Amino acid sequence: MVRLIHKAGIAIVLLIIGLSSCVNLKYINSYSSASLKSIQGFETINYSFKQCCLDNCQDKKINNLNLEAEDCDCKMDEKADSVTLILYNAVKGYFDGLNNLSGNELTNYKTDGLTKALNEGNFGSIKIDKQHVDAYSNVSKILLRAFTDEYRKHQLKVYVREANEPLKVLIKFLDLNISGNLAGKLTLQKQRIRSYYFDLTKNLLLSPFEKRRAVQDYFQQLGEIEARQKELQTYSKALKIIAEGHQKLSDNIDHFSTAEIKGLLFQYACDIRDVKTEFDKIKK
Amino acid sequence: MANLTAEQVNGLADNFSAMAETVGEFRYKNYENLSASQNQQIKDLQATILDVADRLYTLSAVLVMEDIETSLATIDNITNEIKETYKTLLDFQKAINVAGAVVTLGSSILSGKPASIVQSIDSLVKIWNA
Repeated sequence: MVRLIHKAGIAIVLLIIGLSSCVNLKYINSYSSASLKSIQGFETINYSFKQCCLDNCQDKKINNLNLEAEDCDCKMDEKADSVTLILYNAVKGYFDGLNNLSGNELTNYKTDGLTKALNEGNFGSIKIDKQHVDAYSNVSKILLRAFTDEYRKHQLKVYVREANEPLKVLIKFLDLNISGNLAGKLTLQKQRIRSYYFDLTKNLLLSPFEKRRAVQDYFQQLGEIEARQKELQTYSKALKIIAEGHQKLSDNIDHFSTAEIKGLLFQYACDIRDVKTEFDKIKK
Repeated sequence: MANLTAEQVNGLADNFSAMAETVGEFRYKNYENLSASQNQQIKDLQATILDVADRLYTLSAVLVMEDIETSLATIDNITNEIKETYKTLLDFQKAINVAGAVVTLGSSILSGKPASIVQSIDSLVKIWNA
C-alpha cells in the first residue's frame, strides 16, 4: 500500500513539473511568435532607398525631357538598403530563435518508436513486459521534458536579459531607417510632385481639361506616396511595441510564471497582432 | 561631418525638408507677385534643398552601421547560442529515435532474418542522417 502511495506521489509530482514547465513558456512563445510575424512584414514592404533614388532620377529625366539613357547613381542608396537589411536580419534572427526555443513542441519528445521496438522486439531469452515498457516510457518522457524545460527556462532567462539592450539599439535604428529616413525621403517626393504639378496648373499653354488631368494625376501620385508612408509608419508602430514588450519581458524574466506577467505578455502579443493586421490591410 | 551620428544627420535632413517646404509655400502663395525668373529661381532653390535633404537621409541610413556594430555583434552571438541550445534540445529527440532504431536492429539480428536486418539498417541510417 505504502509503495503504491509512493508511486502515485511521484507520478503526481512529475505530472505537475511537466504541466507547469510547459505552460510557463507559452506566453513568451505567443509574444515572440507575434513579434516574428510582424517583423517579417519588412519583406512585404515593396519600397527601398534604391527604388526611391531611381524614381527621383526618372522623374528628373521626365521633367527635363531627357531621353539620355544615363545610369542613375544610386550606390549610396543601395548601401543604405544593405544596412537596413542587416538590421532586419539580426532582429528577425533573434526572434526566430526565441520563438523556436520557447515552443512547447520542442520538448514534447516522442518515444513511440522506442516503445514499439521494445514491445515488439525479439530479444531471445529476455522477455519484456509491455506494461513495464509503457510505464517506463511515460515516466522517462515526463522526466526528460521536466529537465529539458528547466534547462530551456534557464537559458531563455540568460538570452532575454543579455539581448535586451543590444536589441533595443537595433530596433531603434531599424525604425530610424524606415520611419525616419525612408519615410523622410517620401516626404521630399511629395514636395517635388507638388512643385511640378503646381507649375502645370499655372501654365497658360494648357487647357482647363489638361489642367484637370494634371490635378487628377497629382492626387493619384500623392495617394500612392501617402499609402507607402502609412505602411512604413505602421511597421514602425509594431517595432516600438515589440521593443517595449521585450523590455517588460526582460524586467520580469524572473517572475514570468506570475499571472500578471503572463497577462502583460499576452496583451503585447495581441497588440502586435493588431498592428500586423493594420499593416496587412494597408498592403491590400 | 565625420563626427555626426546617424540620428543627428537624420535631424539635419528633417530641417532641410522643413526649409524646402517653407520655400515652396512662399512660391505658391506669392506666385502672382513674382516674375517668371524669380519663380524659376525659387523653384530651383527648393529643388536644391530637397536634393540635399534627400542625400542626408541616405547618409543617415548608411551611418547607422557605425552606431550598431557592438549591438549587432552581441545579438549575432546570442542568436547563435539560441540556435545551439535549440539544436541540443532537438538532438534529444534524435537520440530517442536512434535508440529505437538500434533496438529494432538488435531484435532483427537476434531473429536471424536477413531481409529484416537490411531493412533495420536502412531505417537506422535514415534516422541517423535526419
